[in-house]
Amino acid sequence: MTWIKIERALFTLFVFVLLAGAVQVAREWAIRASIIILLLGGLGLALALAQFISDIKNIESKKPDEVLTMEAPAAKSDSRWGNLEIWGWILGFYAAIHVIGFLAAVPLFVFSYTKAYGGSSILSLILGVMSWGFVYALFDAILHVPWPKPLIASLIS
Amino acid sequence: MIEAALEGLQSVLTLHSLAMMSLGVLIGSLVGFLPGIGGPTTLAIMLPFVMVMQDPVAVIALLVGMDAVGNTASAFPSILISVPGSAGSQATILDGYPMAKRGEAARALSASFMASLVGGIIGPLILLASLPVLRPLVLSFGSPEFFVLTLWGLAMVGVLSGNAPVKGLLAGIIGVFIATVGLDMKSGVERFSFGEPYLWEGISLIIVALGIFGVPECIDLARRKTSIAERHELGSGFKQGIIDVMQNMWLTVRSSAIGIWVGFLPGLGSSVADWFAYANAIQTEKHKENFGKGDVRGVIAPEASNNSKEAGSYIPTLAFGIPGGTSTALILVAFTAVGINPGPDMLTTQLNLTFAIIWTLAIANIMAVFLCMAFTKPIAKCCFLPFYTIVPIILVFVFIGAFAANLNRYDLLLLMVFSTLGFMMRRHGWPRAPLLLGVVLGTKMELYLWLSYTRYGADWLQRPGVILLFILLLASVLYPIWQARRVGAFIEADAP
Repeated sequence: MTWIKIERALFTLFVFVLLAGAVQVAREWAIRASIIILLLGGLGLALALAQFISDIKNIESKKPDEVLTMEAPAAKSDSRWGNLEIWGWILGFYAAIHVIGFLAAVPLFVFSYTKAYGGSSILSLILGVMSWGFVYALFDAILHVPWPKPLIASLIS
Repeated sequence: MIEAALEGLQSVLTLHSLAMMSLGVLIGSLVGFLPGIGGPTTLAIMLPFVMVMQDPVAVIALLVGMDAVGNTASAFPSILISVPGSAGSQATILDGYPMAKRGEAARALSASFMASLVGGIIGPLILLASLPVLRPLVLSFGSPEFFVLTLWGLAMVGVLSGNAPVKGLLAGIIGVFIATVGLDMKSGVERFSFGEPYLWEGISLIIVALGIFGVPECIDLARRKTSIAERHELGSGFKQGIIDVMQNMWLTVRSSAIGIWVGFLPGLGSSVADWFAYANAIQTEKHKENFGKGDVRGVIAPEASNNSKEAGSYIPTLAFGIPGGTSTALILVAFTAVGINPGPDMLTTQLNLTFAIIWTLAIANIMAVFLCMAFTKPIAKCCFLPFYTIVPIILVFVFIGAFAANLNRYDLLLLMVFSTLGFMMRRHGWPRAPLLLGVVLGTKMELYLWLSYTRYGADWLQRPGVILLFILLLASVLYPIWQARRVGAFIEADAP
């Protein structure tokens, strides 16, 4: 519980540093380029500081750690690895696109994910092939999207 | 005006526009009945492909059609599996799901479709009625008033889109800063581009939207691991649901009016329209003891309001160029890309396009209701798709959508950066809509401020319109902050 509160304060601090850096850099520019940054940056820094102080105070308070927004609250995970699990998949897909290219990474990712979470081999295969077929037909054959050259192709050549 | 209305109708009723609208309605409905995929995510995925289209009416038909109907189909998962299909159908669960549990799913669904239809027709009618009022108002505004208005829109979204007004305002400011990235053409200054040519043209809004909405929603869906424990049959009572709406027409009209008002105020969005209408129904209806236990009025009120809300959110978008919410912010970007200029032009030279939007809103809603009614059984089955068939497909589209923004390798890197930012914002209760709105309004805001400064010096601050708008801005920012503090103090005092 406390760790999430510390993380929250650190995130606010990150926003403060980001805004401070932006304002500092913008001070060197011509007024035409910096007017909006200087105007809103000052206000932003004051707000970020106030939020950071409030977050710090909240770390020590015993109030329940509730954040209410008008969006649905983030889901609580039952899985052992929580967010790391899905982030692993996302980063894996990102890495696969770079290494083996979009057209190979798409069916591989769809097949592996579906299979890993309980889909049958047939369903996983069908989804993998369908996703590849859709991406290939629409983006490659019709729209001629220039995919980034995969790392593996560079290594081979 | 009648001429423009007829011209708008004529352009919408061409074969091409109707085909695009049907496609939009199909995609919008699909997004609605598959739980976990938000409308903004789908709009962001569609943007790079839509922005290369030449015909503005086709873009209107596709995107407005898609946006208008998401809430109609989202009643399926809300009623059948107690999972909201969209942010605007959360209140529907309270009475819709108990109805499904006692074998009245068909009645709840047909009541929700009819209420959506009424809301979806009343909304565009009010939008139409507002045009003569808005026209002289918008035309009297100059750049100083527009600057304060954009500031006000951003502040309203920041303050109202969460219970964290300070975080909301900060998110809006971050959004404006993101909008400034790139080469400033007027001064020649490279802003926050670190000498990297990729950043000279700025950061694509598509990547920002996919990063802060698309990936975090997928993460949420994957973590939730939707498993359906209970399946409910549709049961009977389809006709009864339609009769229920007829018998509660005053409630339906009232709820639609609430939806329009909520949509009109930038920042509130559909996630509260349904709750406001539901609360109003409880307060004003007789025999309220059945609410929450499967009362059909608890389905009618939120469903009428979440559909009419869409038309309401187009009022500030079209008249002032200030989007009422995330979806309209994304649609605004597509509009600008194809030559539609929200603002005074929409009420003068491009009035026919405004009418095309109004007609699309109405026709798309009718189409969606017929689609949902005709294919209730097969659509209902789609609600039970397991998460592992949806998550990888959506992620593939998110990555391709981001890459299509500039067809550059760095697009994906930037997507990861904004995904992390969106994930952290969601995790720590930072509203994300103001950030997106900041990116959309940032460039305009900067231009209006610069024009005001160069034309009037500091004198623009003394214009009566500016003073009035500043007072309204301060009141809308300070009141919710004061109220939040008061509630906080009350909870603290009440704690044991």
